[in-house]
Amino acid sequence: MKILLPQIRHDRTGFEALTKVNAETEGCFLQEIEIDMSRTTWFDADMCAALGAILYRLGDRLNTVQLTNIQPGVKQILSKNGFLSSYGRQRIPDKWGTTIPYQRFDVKDDRYFATYIEKELVLRRELPKMSSALLKKFRESVFEIFSNAVGHSKTELGIFSCGQFFPHKYCLDFSVVDLGIGIRQNVKENAGLDYSAEEAIAWATEGRNTTKKGKIPGGLGLKLLREFIKLNRGRISILSDSGYWMAHRGRVSKSKLLNAFPGTIVTMEIDTSDKQSYVLSSEISESDIF
Amino acid sequence: MNRGVELSVYEIVGSPLCVASEDGQKVYDRIAATIREDRSVSLSFRNINSLTSAFLNAAIGQLYGSFGEDEIRSKLRVHDMEPDDRALLKRVVDTAKEYFKDPHRFEEAVQNVLGEGAIEK
Repeated sequence: MKILLPQIRHDRTGFEALTKVNAETEGCFLQEIEIDMSRTTWFDADMCAALGAILYRLGDRLNTVQLTNIQPGVKQILSKNGFLSSYGRQRIPDKWGTTIPYQRFDVKDDRYFATYIEKELVLRRELPKMSSALLKKFRESVFEIFSNAVGHSKTELGIFSCGQFFPHKYCLDFSVVDLGIGIRQNVKENAGLDYSAEEAIAWATEGRNTTKKGKIPGGLGLKLLREFIKLNRGRISILSDSGYWMAHRGRVSKSKLLNAFPGTIVTMEIDTSDKQSYVLSSEISESDIF
Repeated sequence: MNRGVELSVYEIVGSPLCVASEDGQKVYDRIAATIREDRSVSLSFRNINSLTSAFLNAAIGQLYGSFGEDEIRSKLRVHDMEPDDRALLKRVVDTAKEYFKDPHRFEEAVQNVLGEGAIEK
């Protein structure tokens, strides 16, 4: 089987293209699948997490995946961030230090994930100077997404992440992807609400809505992320099942895609030049918490 | 009142990164065991540089499924927290109070705890 991959950007068209790849290969078992990248003249590096998840799932079904005709520019980026190392190519040094490596994690890898973020985002000197408040907020937001995937997705195939820094645009892109049950199914099973996929995502990002049951209350993951990105005037996109939801500079849009993704993709873009303190105007005393 | 117990989150977790729910559970276990002994808890976040709501929910939020608000307020103190971490903890606590207002959830939480062999007051 041969699949022609178009340009992949972290927008609706990029998500449409990746879910199409997933749909076309859905029933494949023990097959040879060629992903022809001759027309992939642009690939937003953080989207490696989403493509990697789709290809990993194919591998789990004992398919052999080959990436062919990779354009030089794309090949360079995907070799630097380690994505192509899974597909027989050698990793090349990231001279300018703009990549945050592609990595797969198991759900028990919370600490490993935290260490990866520290190593690749916080301790790297070549990354842009971000204010300590921004770095803390960003790091915690990424941890929240990971915790959300661990707590809700029920994935057995893992969690995938990748990022890219654009120094001249003062922005940082980062994606976290899981191959779990998706937000719509989770909301349906645990909150008893039969929403469309895009409505379910919107529900999960609002107020105190939670699908959590049992002795530990639900996390605030997606709500905190949404608040932070709004303050930062950045962008957050969530694709889950066939629902697409995006918030950009405070404006929210949602729509249904033609095909579904077998899990959830969260991509975020932050403005690295943001100098906000992120300190609340009214401080909470330690004695007022409980 | 009996002498209180001082707990260090860093010592319990062994890392400045408090991300995992499982690590939060370890903190909860110690706080809950101390409160059951009718002792107060002084919980220090010194040297902690990242917290998630998942961690705080496991560590502190679930206390509201096991103990009353008054008991938690009188026996638990936190200190050495950054202002934004305090704000996050406050939200987690408010969410937990709301969550356990649902009697089904409260009952379920109690059953879960009892199922683990704990004795509730």
